[in-house]
Amino acid sequence: MSLPSFLPLAHALVARKDLPIPIWLFAWGASIVLIVSFFALSASWREPRFEDERWRPLGGGLWRALTGRVAQAICGLIGVFLLALSVYAGLHGTEAPDRNFALTFIFVTVWLGFPVFSVLFGDVFRPFNPWRAIGRLTGAAFAAVAGQRPVHLSYPERLGRWPAAAGLVAFVWLEVVYGANGGVAVGLSPHPAAVAALVYSAYTLAMMALFGTERWCQTGETFSVYFGMFSQLGSFGVRDGRLGLRRPFSATTSWASVPGSAAVVIASIATTSFDGAQEGALKGAIRSSFDWFADRGLALTTSLRLADTIFLAVCLAGVALVYLAGVRGMASVPGAPSRARLRVAFAHTLIPIAFAYLLAHYFSLFVFQEQAQFTYLLSDPLGTATTDLFGTASGGIDFQVLSANAIWYVQVGALVIGHVLGLVLAHDRATSLWGDYRQAARSQYWMLAVMVAFTCFGLYLLSVANG
Amino acid sequence: MNSNFARALVGVAAIVIAAVLLVVLKDDGGGGTEATTKGVPTIVVQNGKPVGGIRQLAYEKGDQIRFKVESDVSDEVHVHGYDVMKDVKAGGSVSFDFPATIEGVFEAELEDRGEQIVELTVNP
Repeated sequence: MSLPSFLPLAHALVARKDLPIPIWLFAWGASIVLIVSFFALSASWREPRFEDERWRPLGGGLWRALTGRVAQAICGLIGVFLLALSVYAGLHGTEAPDRNFALTFIFVTVWLGFPVFSVLFGDVFRPFNPWRAIGRLTGAAFAAVAGQRPVHLSYPERLGRWPAAAGLVAFVWLEVVYGANGGVAVGLSPHPAAVAALVYSAYTLAMMALFGTERWCQTGETFSVYFGMFSQLGSFGVRDGRLGLRRPFSATTSWASVPGSAAVVIASIATTSFDGAQEGALKGAIRSSFDWFADRGLALTTSLRLADTIFLAVCLAGVALVYLAGVRGMASVPGAPSRARLRVAFAHTLIPIAFAYLLAHYFSLFVFQEQAQFTYLLSDPLGTATTDLFGTASGGIDFQVLSANAIWYVQVGALVIGHVLGLVLAHDRATSLWGDYRQAARSQYWMLAVMVAFTCFGLYLLSVANG
Repeated sequence: MNSNFARALVGVAAIVIAAVLLVVLKDDGGGGTEATTKGVPTIVVQNGKPVGGIRQLAYEKGDQIRFKVESDVSDEVHVHGYDVMKDVKAGGSVSFDFPATIEGVFEAELEDRGEQIVELTVNP
């Protein structure tokens, strides 16, 4: 395939969209969800099984080296280099989104890749986090020059993970609302993306200077918190600087105790829903609101962004309301803790759902776009057709590696498995909260309804035609 | 008794949700795509925009994708995904004829204007 000589601005990152799942598969998916759910009600256990992580360290020298200083320094350098490359490509490369390294790298390779890597290999973003690397280096330099460690403000505990939840919504807003361009996957242009990356870097480094690098990464820094959330699902975990193995899914049980955690997982589900619905289920509604604003004399771009922002907010409110309704229901069961405690206690049960939503909505995009990432975007990061670093600049995306059927099965399979894991975690938590087994089981009708709602809504989003 | 009642309630709610969704979907599934069997569909472009809006064309994998674009502006017609590109002159027309090898939903647009004229659906 040859490089087109002219690359216009209004060019989508993705040249192909998924077919909606067919009605028979939707029916099968929904049926399996219901059957599995009722099975879960009858075949339930009475003692919590996931509350204890059973973490044990991995002994070998190689495992130790992975969390050692040298490995941290190398990973940090790679992270900083890739951030710098993305910003440079965004500022100086082509404005064609699909030909510029920056957009695919930030929005596909990192944003969609790290949740998967985190589940499989643990919190791998932490060592590669460029801002953490810069923060640590600056801290070390300060200590060497001043002869004392930098002094930080104490992080307000009540703020918890709220800054990360806000950052998550802002990031997706930038991607699918600000950059909205007739509703393509990433309509954003490289230049504003690079500027946003610089603004976020400045904000993050300022917060790190105020509260301390590690402290800000724990609960404030959007990407650390977001990817870290998914890493709780997996078996690899670091304790006191040592890498170890734990029971899968068990680390999620303690994750949500920090304020604002429920907001992070709700924001994740809602933003993925909005991205999926923008071109499907919500298309008509967005269009009408857009017309309404445009008729009142607002500029077309402003009208579209306003309409999209409203429906992103609707998605956030909708997902939050479903969860809060479930919490309210559980609170009505005798022996229930306070609603405030329940809100925190069950937030982690939505993490598998959030991950399933990600897989279902972006699996094919990731597989296709990574082919671009490792061929022409790697060899010609600026997209100016002037470099061919690895001899792969003329490569392209082979859309035939995935059939529509394969994509459908992955989508429905992800939602069903996420549903089951959510139910398992919720039931497990209920058995530890309610002393009485019967009441625990009763409380779970409510969480079951929440899970069925999310899973069927996910299936529905996938099955609505794009047109 | 109480627990059985709640169980039944959840069951009924879930089935109602599933039934409603199925009905909603059935309505959606029918419309949208037009029959593309009779003749070669022609998309007329006036003032740089497709007459009658973005044309929906649906095929099955293995079919031959055929359509014609008549345009009053000069531009390049680009079928994304398949990466088929042809120039069209103002007042001229251009014909496409290529096999449906990739499943999915694709755009064809007037490349220089960034104006989508066709939504191409290839079903398995």
